Amino acid sequence: MRGGRRLAGKAVVLLLQLLLAVVILLPFFWMLSVSLKPATEPFAIPARLWPDHPTVDNYVTAFRPEFRQYFLNSVIVSAATLAITIPLALLAAYSFTRLQMRLLSVFLVLIIVAQMFPSSAIIIPLYKMVKGAGLLNTYAALVIAYITVTLPVAIWMLRGFLAKLPGTLEEAAAIDGATPLQAFFQIVVPLCRPGIVATAVFVLIVTWQEFLFALSFTSTKEMRTLPVGVNDYIGQYGIRYGELMANAVMISLPVVAVFFFLQRHFVAGLTQGAVKG
Amino acid sequence: MYYPMVGTVYESLFTTSFINPTPKFVGLETYRRILADPGFRQVVLNSLAWTAGVVILQNVVGFLAALLLDQNLPGQGLMRSLVLLPWVLPGVVAAILWRFLYDPQLGLINSFLIGWGLSDHGVEWLADTATAMPAAILAAVWKGFPFSTVVYLAALQNVDREQIEAAVIDGAGPVRRLLDVVIPAVRPVIAVNLLLTTILTFNYFDMVWVLTRGGPLNSTHIFPTKIYELGFGQFRFGDAAAYGVISMLVLVVLIALYLLVQRRARA
Repeated sequence: MRGGRRLAGKAVVLLLQLLLAVVILLPFFWMLSVSLKPATEPFAIPARLWPDHPTVDNYVTAFRPEFRQYFLNSVIVSAATLAITIPLALLAAYSFTRLQMRLLSVFLVLIIVAQMFPSSAIIIPLYKMVKGAGLLNTYAALVIAYITVTLPVAIWMLRGFLAKLPGTLEEAAAIDGATPLQAFFQIVVPLCRPGIVATAVFVLIVTWQEFLFALSFTSTKEMRTLPVGVNDYIGQYGIRYGELMANAVMISLPVVAVFFFLQRHFVAGLTQGAVKG
Repeated sequence: MYYPMVGTVYESLFTTSFINPTPKFVGLETYRRILADPGFRQVVLNSLAWTAGVVILQNVVGFLAALLLDQNLPGQGLMRSLVLLPWVLPGVVAAILWRFLYDPQLGLINSFLIGWGLSDHGVEWLADTATAMPAAILAAVWKGFPFSTVVYLAALQNVDREQIEAAVIDGAGPVRRLLDVVIPAVRPVIAVNLLLTTILTFNYFDMVWVLTRGGPLNSTHIFPTKIYELGFGQFRFGDAAAYGVISMLVLVVLIALYLLVQRRARA
């Protein structure tokens, strides 16, 4: 009797999980389905979930030169942001965990609070600063703006990992004659690799999709990033949903792939830094 | 980051417009005008509805999904990463995707409604002032709940198993166990996460901007979209900055609360 009830309970849980999976995946599936639908195949009512003759035509058309430019811009800006954020955050987080100074914790709170403030509230003066510095329509403007967003979170996440490494490791290294810098690069960094990977994935997800700064600081087609570029498409190619969805798939693929490849590290890192902080 | 905040306050004391781009000092005049403007009231009410709607639904759905995934069943690893997919999806892409799902003629949602005979012509979800905000909230919940799920899942897995087993021996059913043991144990995480999602939702620009641009008839304009439109759509930098200052004040309160709750949660 008890066993039967437990089995029934498990069946209900599985059923609900299946429902959850459908709710999550249906929009993705629809995006993929429409992107593979030939332009000649009409939208039926009720909707047909999979096209009769799937084709990659939409992808070929949608991979137009300007889209390639947006893609390149996004790659450059994300890579530069990542390359600057991670080393800086690592050094900052390390000093936060290893140096005992009262002022540091105040500073740490200031960093986190600054990060929570709305980009939209400061977008006007930021725009004027960028314009005044002659940086409108440059990669530099975006990279600098993104670092102000990613650096605090990265410091916060990495601090969670570094705090768990016992300080005795570096003491042992010091006894063996290693300088603090050697101890940092040869012991702390390798041990912290899962945390670094998790933080890097997070930074990538954030910069790859950033919209407001990119929308405000770039006005030429040559400099737009993917989110801004594809937002323009709604007006330009709004009715050609097949191509729009093909673009959407192409934009999502890199982050989704990185995420799936590294998700194990990532989920642990996210909860570590964000919640237990 | 702090320098531009001061810049916003400074900026809000001047007025500019598309026709008259040279800043002119007006002191607090801009605030007086905005506070008397019914449009401002609408933005406040919209922001309230948007933030409350998204935060409550996102946390409820997120918590329930976490409970579902906190089971010893095969295939949970896959489900746990699957659940994060909407959160990984770039915000603009998610918004475009939902715009398409809501499309009156071609969208999947209306297609189902018509197919099942629930509606004969399809609903213009994003073009109707009554449905635009709920539609935007629903899309944002789909995009945002995975984050809450992951946070809650981590908290649930830290709940003391012995306490749960003790409750089982005392004859407590699953619902009793949830209310008396599990929820009290994760309450600090719930409090922190509620405030964190409130702050993030209040600031959330992409979804509403791409779905509706604040329309129809301003029915979905929230602080971030209003600021952007005033500043970059109409070049009324002073007005935009004044809205920015007001939204900063709201956030000061929220962030102070957040820090307080987080400190209490850790103690």
